[in-house]
Order: sequence, then C-alpha cells, then structure tokens
Amino acid sequence: MTHDHIFKMTRRGLLYAVLIISSLIMAFPLLFGAAGSIASSNDYARTPWFPIPYHPSFLNYYLALGGTNTIQSGNTVKHVSALDTPSGDVPRWALNTLLRAGWYIIIPAISAVMAGYVFAKMHFRGRDGVFVYLLSSMMLPGIVYLVPTFVMMARFPLAGGNSILGQGGSGFINQWPALLITGLVNVYFIFMFRQTLLGIPIDFEEAARVDGANTLQCIFEIYLPMLMPTITVLIIFQFVAIWNDYMWPLFVSAGNPYIYTISLGFQYLSAAGNALKGLPASTTDYPFTFALATVSIAPLILLFFIMQRYFVEGVQGFAIKG
Amino acid sequence: MIDATAHDVSTMHPSEALSPRERFKRWRYRNRQALEGWGILTPILVYYSIFFLFPVVSVLYLSFTRWSGLSGAPVWVGLENFHKLLTVPTYTQVIGNTILFAVSILIIQTVLAFFVALLLNAKIRGRGLYRAAWYIPTLTSAAIMAQVASVFIAPSDGVIMTIRAQQGLPPIIFYTQVDLMRLVIIIYSVWRGVGGPMILYLAALQGIHPEFYEAAQVDGATGPQLLRYITLPLVMPMTIFVLITGIIGTAQIFESVMFLSKGGPANLTNVLLLEIYQDAFSNMSIGLASAEAVLLGVGLLAFSLFNIRIMTRGRVGE
Repeated sequence: MTHDHIFKMTRRGLLYAVLIISSLIMAFPLLFGAAGSIASSNDYARTPWFPIPYHPSFLNYYLALGGTNTIQSGNTVKHVSALDTPSGDVPRWALNTLLRAGWYIIIPAISAVMAGYVFAKMHFRGRDGVFVYLLSSMMLPGIVYLVPTFVMMARFPLAGGNSILGQGGSGFINQWPALLITGLVNVYFIFMFRQTLLGIPIDFEEAARVDGANTLQCIFEIYLPMLMPTITVLIIFQFVAIWNDYMWPLFVSAGNPYIYTISLGFQYLSAAGNALKGLPASTTDYPFTFALATVSIAPLILLFFIMQRYFVEGVQGFAIKG
Repeated sequence: MIDATAHDVSTMHPSEALSPRERFKRWRYRNRQALEGWGILTPILVYYSIFFLFPVVSVLYLSFTRWSGLSGAPVWVGLENFHKLLTVPTYTQVIGNTILFAVSILIIQTVLAFFVALLLNAKIRGRGLYRAAWYIPTLTSAAIMAQVASVFIAPSDGVIMTIRAQQGLPPIIFYTQVDLMRLVIIIYSVWRGVGGPMILYLAALQGIHPEFYEAAQVDGATGPQLLRYITLPLVMPMTIFVLITGIIGTAQIFESVMFLSKGGPANLTNVLLLEIYQDAFSNMSIGLASAEAVLLGVGLLAFSLFNIRIMTRGRVGE
C-alpha cells in the first residue's frame, strides 16, 4: 500500500464516520422516543441517556389509541380509557385530520389545475392582470392576515347564531367550516401547474377539440393525466402541511375536542399517561407521551419512505423548475 | 387555436342584418376563450378577494385601532400601536428576539445544510438512509416534536436532569437561564429546519458538471480551492434562494418557543408570532396583534418580493 492509498482509505473512513454519527444525532430524538414508547416506566427511568426496553410492551400504544386499562388500588377496581373524555380521542383526531387533508388536496388541486390551464393555454384580455393579482398573495405570509381571518370566522354572517351582520353568536369558531374554508386557492400550486402546462404542446388539445371535446374535457381528460407528477407533489405537500398544521386549528378549534386534529390534540392527552396507568398524579409518564408522539408522526415517516423520490423531487422542483 | 371557418363572421359585412339571437351567438363564439376563462377565474377571484384581499385590508385597518374583538367597534388610534411596538421595552424585546432567532437559525441551518449536502454528494453507500435521517425531522409536527424535546429539559424529571442527578452533578434549571433557553430553541429549530435546504443544496451540487473539477485539478487546484472557487460560486443562486425562502420561514418561529420556553424567562425568548397569539386571544388586543402582524409582513416584504421574482423568472440553482 502506498501512502496515497492509506490517505484515501482514512479519508473515506472519516467520511463514513462523520455521516453515520451525524445521522444518528439527527435521528436521536426520534429513536429515543420510539425506544421509550415501548419501555415500561421502570425501564425508562433506569437508563436516562437512552431508554432500553428490557420489558418491551405496546401498552402505551394501546392506551394512546383508546384502549381500556384496569387499575386496581386497594379494593377498588377502575377501568380507564383515553376515550373517557373527548379530549383523548386519537382515532377521531386522526380521522378528522385525514378528512381535512383530503379536502385540502382535492379542492386546491381542482382550482389550481383549472386556473393553471387558463393562465397557460387561454388568451384573452385581463388574463395577465388577474395573474399578477393572484401572485400578490405571495407578498405576505399567511400569518399576517391570520387574526382578521379569525375575526371573519367568528363574525361570519348567519353562522353559529350570528345575525346577518355577524353579531351575537360565535360564527364558525369551534366548528368544522372554520377548519375547511380558508386557503382553498393556492397560488403556488396555480403557478406550478401553469409552468408544467406551458411545457406541454397544444397539439394534444387541438386533436381532442377536432373530436368535439370541450374545455373541461380537455383539462380533465387530456391534461390531467399528464399532470400526475405535479399532482403527486401537491398531494404529498398538502398532506404533510395539513397533518402538521397547528396554529390555525389552535385558533379556531381549541374549544371543541370533537374537531381536534392530531397536531392540536396531542397536547391535551400527552400528560395523561399517569392517570391511564394508575401512577401518582404528581409524575409525568413520558413513555406514554412518546407512544402518542410516535403514533402522531409515524404516518408521515412511512409516507416519506414509500414516496422518497417524490419528496426529494418536490422540494427541488419548487426551486429548480419553479 | 382552432378556428372553424364555417362560423367565421369576420368576412361578413357589418350592415348585414342579423337577428339579436344570432348576433349574440356569434359574439359568444368569437369570445369563447374569454368567456370560459372568466368562467373559471371568477369563482377563484371572488374566493381570493374574500379570503385574501379582505383580511389584508382589515389587518391594515385594525393595526391603527384599539379593539377587544369581543364587542363594540374598533376605535381609531392612529399610530399608537406601532409607537408602542417600537418604543415599549416589552415589545422591542420581542422584535429583537425574533430577529435574533430568525437570523441565527437561518445562518446555522444554511451552513450546516451546505456541508451535509457536500458529504452526501460524495460517492457513498446508503445515501438514501443518511438523507432520510437529515430530512425526516422536517416532516415531523413542529408542535409535537417541541413537546417531545421539552422532555429533555424538564426541570425535575427531564432527561438531562436525571443524568446529572445520577452523576451527582448540581441540577441545571433551563427555564430560568435565558442563554440556555435560547440555545435549546435554536438547536431544536435547526434540527427541524436543516432538511429542506440540505435537499436543495444536494440538487445544486448534483447539477455541477464534473468537468469543472477535472479541469481545475489538472491545473493543480487543491480541495479547499475547489470549494472556494468552483463549488461556492456555482451554488450561489441556490444559496440566495435558500436564504430568502429561509428567512421568511425562520421569522415565523412559533411552536418551538410556545412549547419549549413559553417566551420566558421574563419575556426574553418571546417572539412575534407568540406575542400575536397572546395579544389576540389572551389580552384581547386585536389592534395590537394586527400591528404586530403588519410589522412582520413589512419586515419580510422585500424578501417576499425577491422570492416572487426568483419564482417568476424561474430556474434557480442551475
């Protein structure tokens, strides 16, 4: 072996060492949580630097998802479940979040594909003015107008006991419409579809028009199949965004446990582990918190591993394809 | 576009008599694209005006008023809210904290993302796995993971406290030490934020033709020189993109502060979004919360405009 060889080998070894150690550091909170979630409360306390599940059990998951625990203290036997109160209903929150994600995929996708078609393929006076008007929303992050949007939800005419002037009731606050009504037109997506459509020649549409297809048929039967990669990116991004959405649900639904989403509901149940396991009220049962957190974030991690290519291309597409 | 010549009326003499019905049909045919276009755009425009334009105009108006949001009408107070925000120490502290967090998180995560992308761009086995480890934190819920992170720094039974207790070391009370709390918030935010820019840098690096490096190596350039004179200039457009989109994101820091420090100790880690939330919902000062939102929007306006320009010009990082 030459000096050069040894130098190169050392460099590669060093590269792998840095990669592996840094990746482990990044994954540490998630690994810690996953290991802690299957540890018994005693195991968890034994090795504080990293919980080693000597007695692995899925009790915490069972309890987090609403399973019933039987607690015996002295002569009294109690049956407790997270489902005893509405602010512990993880399956319902998951369903709520899925419904909301489906809605925020379908409606913005339809509106963005149609608007994208108009801006890419149709020509008429006023079109570019509208485009600039829509683009202007990107000048301000959504948070800037969140408070008046909240007030609008609370003062929505004729909703939730409100008069026609929006007075007297609570509007859409703590009701489903507040979670579904905003953000249905997404200018990023309109722009994305416009860009993709600009790259598709008009020939396909012309051939279909000769065969008697109208505009809607052209959009949904000719172009839509060709837009599938962009739509996949939209689905992934909306799903992640809605699954993790915290601030808006906190604003408009914190008073109604029946419409909690996963990200919002977590905080109301995460400290309930001690009660569910019959531990003293003064303690916090972290293994339960970890199980709840793992349940809440696992769907996205699974989705990432299944569709890794689209995640990476999607993030890069925003910057590169624009 | 296709034009059925059979219906083409342009050659017809205008004086030729046509029934109004026929004239309408021809007008409709001539303007069919505009009609269909407006048909699609009108609902979108109406929706957009209700849920974007109206709230934006409202927030501007409300920022000059005092209003509890519960009852009564907003009372015009002119610049009082803005004057308060820019002079009262409580609020200037919040603005300063937001800038401190936004800039330090942005710089650390961008530099880190660049070097990690460099490592991942090398010929290595199992790239997908390392990439996943660095990207997955970005996908986790900021609210949930901040609550998980708070387990590490909890005062009596937190992970770090338990380890110190076992080693016989005195406890650290994170919540009372501002520098430690800031550090925890920054580390957490970088942990969650580094994945996006890392993926973007990786794309930029993969777009660099190997010939550039080969040519430079022939001329005797060393590793650091390659980095300085080839890699860095070629990823510059991506760096600009990552910094501009990044600052818009890091300035909106919220969940980490809400769950890790609640703005404490003594307001020293409080940030604008948390202050907006508290003012709007706990303090019932819709006017002040609106002014804070307007301030944030104005502060980010230049970056947002630049962002739109990058997007509409297209093709960053090539």
